[in-house]
Amino acid sequence: MPIHEKSLIRPENLTEHEELMLDGVDVSGHWSTFIETRIVKDYNENLEEEIGALPGGENIHRCWQCGSCTNSCTVNAINPDFNPRYWIYLIRMGYESELLRDKDIIWQCVSCNKCTYACPRDVFPEGVMKATAHWLEKKGHTDKSPSTHFDEVFTEQIVKTGKIEESRTMRRFFGRTGQALVQPWIKVMVRRMLKGLPVGMLTRMGLATLVAPKTSDWSKASAAIQEYIDEQDEKHEQALSLAQLVETAKQDVAA
Amino acid sequence: MSTTKDKYKKVAYYPGCALEGSGHSYNRSTKAVGKALGLDLVEVKNWNCCGAMEVKNIDPKIQTYLSSRVMSTAANEMDMDVVMAPCNGCYHNLKKAEYDLKNDQDSVEVVDRLSKKAGHKTYEAGQVETIHALDWIRDAIGEEGLKARVKKSLEGIKVANYYGCMYTRPRHIFPEKDQGPGSESTSKPHFMDDLLAAAGAENVDFPLKTACCGGAHTLSDSETSTKLVLNILRAAKMSGADVIATECPTCHSGLEMHQIRAEEQYGEKVDIKILYFTQLLGMALGLKARKVGVHENISDSIRFLKEKGLG
Repeated sequence: MPIHEKSLIRPENLTEHEELMLDGVDVSGHWSTFIETRIVKDYNENLEEEIGALPGGENIHRCWQCGSCTNSCTVNAINPDFNPRYWIYLIRMGYESELLRDKDIIWQCVSCNKCTYACPRDVFPEGVMKATAHWLEKKGHTDKSPSTHFDEVFTEQIVKTGKIEESRTMRRFFGRTGQALVQPWIKVMVRRMLKGLPVGMLTRMGLATLVAPKTSDWSKASAAIQEYIDEQDEKHEQALSLAQLVETAKQDVAA
Repeated sequence: MSTTKDKYKKVAYYPGCALEGSGHSYNRSTKAVGKALGLDLVEVKNWNCCGAMEVKNIDPKIQTYLSSRVMSTAANEMDMDVVMAPCNGCYHNLKKAEYDLKNDQDSVEVVDRLSKKAGHKTYEAGQVETIHALDWIRDAIGEEGLKARVKKSLEGIKVANYYGCMYTRPRHIFPEKDQGPGSESTSKPHFMDDLLAAAGAENVDFPLKTACCGGAHTLSDSETSTKLVLNILRAAKMSGADVIATECPTCHSGLEMHQIRAEEQYGEKVDIKILYFTQLLGMALGLKARKVGVHENISDSIRFLKEKGLG
């Protein structure tokens, strides 16, 4: 059975008649299991092209569905619904509604690159996962994932200062995702961490939270990077026709 | 006449952001080991972040630029041939930038444009060789050299060598690996095993050497990370190890944090010590536990090390 047909055998697509006679034969119950007929009308023919236009998605067209990515996947081993091969298939088919069923887990790729290592076609599935997660967010199908919030907080700090000071990144991340900073396990961890530390080290850590480490003479690099980010954002907006999307939404609201 | 070994005796040192924060004990132990072995580390001047996983997720070419700036400084301002990065993330990113600048014209153009605007020389592929701390000790000193310098053998310590993801994957950015005998293997890396064995440790047969700790989502998807870390801790324990030796600050703190989180959230305590390989090597070279920053680790290994006659 082709893998996209998996949707046909979901419980909601199966029917059974409790009592049914066919040509004088009793096929009641399991003997009369039918798959509901269905017509797919919502193919998005631009899906592959759109995801291919985002960083990481460039090589999606090379996939020949061998399944090495899913086979080697770290996350698949703990959640069988996490299936890069299947998603790449759906994207190439343009089967958007089916892809959206998994929209809330695609961002969970841990970038271990086992798939990229295993892929015989240089699809870079890890990059495709990132591109797909970004596509879902940009199109408004999902909110920004905690991972995207983290990436943004981190990148903002790099663009600003050239370096990362971890406790600042952590605080901002927890702030932006609305989580309490002092979770019970973090409390235990900090307590154990502080136990063994010498005073000099504590002072240094305290200072780092006040005066963030910086790369000096960074302002020109910072401006150049920011300019590049803005330029790319605009390019991606065009590739995904986001302006059109907003326009259509406005018309829908007006109507 | 200079030999290959001499090339690695004085290298540009790129600690990276994590080694100034959560991975400080890795920084400390790497420097201490270098000193004990008579190797010269010259820190890259005014370095910046390599771009890490996070900037790569926003845009891979910015990560390539950030890493290239570090290599440009080492090559053009410090006249160094070799950059040594102990952090797997930094090492990986410098290697990836090197690969991109050698093979992808778009990356070359973006890096050139950003470098000119930022006001420094554009890094060109091939100007420096990026190596990991494992390569550094192996190439500059070698297993035999290390064996000769061991003052306190690690005998009786059972080690699971944990390499993580970024040191070997994806393989195309590491052209020097998988080149037969003497080179590192991307499927079954062994450089850390070799060095620790030379220092007397007993390496256990550990199947999850290159498994993922979920470090990318340590905070953003803690549930997944805890599951992945638990796999690693349990497998190491079942392999008979006392210690997991690490070579990456993200893996190291991931293992330590989620060891605690597993205990707090699920009540599953896996009693295994977590130490940087440089901490173990440093102690084998006769350095005190404090000198290699064991007290700075979150997990407490001091009593265990004392029992083994170290530190």
